[in-house]
Amino acid sequence: MIRRTLLAGCMGLALMTGIAGQALAQKTTLTVGLASADTGVLDPHMNSATPGKSFMQQIFNGLVRLKPGEISPEFIEPDLAESWTASPDGKVWTFNLRKGVQCHHNFGEFTAEDAVFSLKRAATRETSTFSSDYAAFESVEAPDKYTVKITLKNAIPSLLGVVMNYHGGQMICKAAVEQMGNEAFRRRPIGTGPFAFAEYVPQQYGKLVANDLYFRGKPNFREITYRLIPSDAARDLAFQAGELDMLYARQDQTAFSRLKATPGVKALAMNPAEMSVIHLNMTMPPLDNIKVRQAIAHALDRDGIQQFRGREVSRQAVSVVPSGYVGTLANAPLLPHNVQKARELLAEAGFPNGITLKTIHTTLPGMMTFMEAVQAQLRRAGITLEITPVEHATFHQQIRQNLSQVVHFQAARFPVADVYLSQFFHSRATVGSPTGVTNFSHCKVADAEIDAARSEPDKAKQIALWHEAQRKIVTEVCAIPVNEQLQLWAIKDSLDLGYEIKGALNLGPAVLETSKFTK
Amino acid sequence: MTAFLVRRLGFACITLFAVLTIIFLIVRILPGDPAQVILGDQADAGAVAAMRTRLGLDRPLLVQYADFLSGAIRGDWGVSLVTGRPVIQEVLSVLPWTIELTLYALLIGAAIGIPLGIWAAVNRNLFTDYAIRIASLLGLSFPAFVSGILLLIGFAIQLRWFPVISGQRATWTQWLQSLVLPAVNLGLIMAAYITRVTRSAMLEVLSEDYVRTARAKGVPWQAVVWRHALRNALIPIITIVGLYLGVLIGNSVLTEIVFNRPGLGKLIVGALNQRDYTMLQGMMVIYTLLVVAINLATDVVYGVADPRVKLQ
Repeated sequence: MIRRTLLAGCMGLALMTGIAGQALAQKTTLTVGLASADTGVLDPHMNSATPGKSFMQQIFNGLVRLKPGEISPEFIEPDLAESWTASPDGKVWTFNLRKGVQCHHNFGEFTAEDAVFSLKRAATRETSTFSSDYAAFESVEAPDKYTVKITLKNAIPSLLGVVMNYHGGQMICKAAVEQMGNEAFRRRPIGTGPFAFAEYVPQQYGKLVANDLYFRGKPNFREITYRLIPSDAARDLAFQAGELDMLYARQDQTAFSRLKATPGVKALAMNPAEMSVIHLNMTMPPLDNIKVRQAIAHALDRDGIQQFRGREVSRQAVSVVPSGYVGTLANAPLLPHNVQKARELLAEAGFPNGITLKTIHTTLPGMMTFMEAVQAQLRRAGITLEITPVEHATFHQQIRQNLSQVVHFQAARFPVADVYLSQFFHSRATVGSPTGVTNFSHCKVADAEIDAARSEPDKAKQIALWHEAQRKIVTEVCAIPVNEQLQLWAIKDSLDLGYEIKGALNLGPAVLETSKFTK
Repeated sequence: MTAFLVRRLGFACITLFAVLTIIFLIVRILPGDPAQVILGDQADAGAVAAMRTRLGLDRPLLVQYADFLSGAIRGDWGVSLVTGRPVIQEVLSVLPWTIELTLYALLIGAAIGIPLGIWAAVNRNLFTDYAIRIASLLGLSFPAFVSGILLLIGFAIQLRWFPVISGQRATWTQWLQSLVLPAVNLGLIMAAYITRVTRSAMLEVLSEDYVRTARAKGVPWQAVVWRHALRNALIPIITIVGLYLGVLIGNSVLTEIVFNRPGLGKLIVGALNQRDYTMLQGMMVIYTLLVVAINLATDVVYGVADPRVKLQ
């Protein structure tokens, strides 16, 4: 009887221990909420949208990578390449690859041939959105199985920036593209990252599974599901209900404060911030008059806008290049808020009764509320801003057709001053021209400095040139930088991503092989 | 009956052709460039032009139209300009979700709306009638996204009976859980419409001579209402249900977004935002076919509900 009781007791204890053990076992699946109904095309060389980049960053590696959680190029570290060297003139770069790195789904070892194929594909207009980043490439070769040699026509500000785990630098496996073709590859992307593509169900989710052959080690998470939830409210409710472990939060101060106050939640305000800039089309009267442009700059109150957007989720712009980029001029001579001065300048310019300006603007709520605040500030100085709201795709088309006197553009770029300066303030990028990108103001005062900085091998001189370019642009008032809005995410505090998150260049926290739940 | 169906299908083909032509032109008249949307805001003008060539958007409109029509006739709707996935695959993957949601919403709407409408009619100008009319007015004026969020807060967050994300359906329970709240949300709006139509149809029928005669002959009140009056009031109810069903398919987008369900509504909003011409065209074909099918079904149901209606 006693023996039977003891046996039963032991069995009971074993059962309870088992149950408790199961309950205490860490969750090995991660669910992330993205703010979109679709990730877009699943090709790292074609997709520049937030949801697509967040999802795909786990699938691919670069030759080098940014240290997780950082966004500045000074934190570049080895990835598929173990080491690299550059010639003194910065025109020849040699990368030594890791051996034994495996492509997902048995597509073989990743070698220099894959890297060459990937970079050439990224440099081709038909297969890459980012082909212009590779315009300076003269050749990419594989002298042997584990060496990649890149020869440039001229030195560029950040060669490592275009071979890192970002945009066209994401390395894909040649055999996969050759076997499946580009179209099929875009439905089943193959890389070498810690997680492999498993499934994509439009409007519902994208699923990744652990790549147990990952060269940095077997991932702790077995599966990551990216849920596609365009509604801010629904995503927020799903997070509250515990159905999501990490989410792209509603991008405003109120939501951020609420998430911060929620027990068990870490609210993150991350870089890169998107800078809101008011571009003034200097070819359209009265904006061809510098006094008018100065008046507008004086009329804007950066502090007021920051207060309006939220002190924790935004910061004041410091220059025409966002703060924290390599080469940002932190003390650019921006004109201070002074309504009286603005009125005086308008009067001097021959507009004592004020002016009326027109802008075509997107209906996206976050951008529209900003512009309405700007409109209210300008009104105090006698400047009437008439806003024509159009749907977002129309906005992007019409502002490139040179139809808007004033353009509000909000963007983050690769954090090197050259990118922002080249795309927004170089005459080559002027909208309406065949090489046009996003120079809405038709600014051309700093072309010489921007071009000289591009091929300047001396880092200090290069930065001095970028500073000078910013001084000139600010003095000419081609555009008025106003505010920088951070990326807002929230994660459960039991989720340890394995690094300190200060930023995420791919616009979503990266999940690493070391990421795990702590309870 | 066969001649009727053949005639209706003939009309359907003409309607479909007209809709396809109109939608082909409309999506191209809309401002906004799919090539720019695909490439993002960092692409230069040259890259955008190259993408337009790749997508075939730089060809003359007539060539594009001929290409589109010949593809449509062969059942080839092309691939999405944005994602590169076949349009037919994308549309068919979400179509069952929309049809399912719409049908269950209709069932809920009818199950609530018809009895309430009758109840209000037989209690005309009494407290019950006023209460039902006010409730149906609220149902009509309450936006679907607000009622959806309220349902989620109540049943998914507070009571935890249902998930917030309605997309999981590996098991029968999950399927039911994923369907109930969205169907109730949409069904309540449907119920409000049906209640009002049923009430007014019943009021009209209840004042007819034959109802008075039936009552005078001693037929029980319940039998008069359900057997005599309701059958005669069904035609306007079926008409409004048929009409509203088409609207419901289009209007389900808010419910799909709030409950994170896949569906045609969400797909069409995404395609519009991205100027995905081929996807929009494919969606329009499906919408047109659905509306035609619903009208056809409504006509057939007329005959079933009221034998006096002949399908000629």
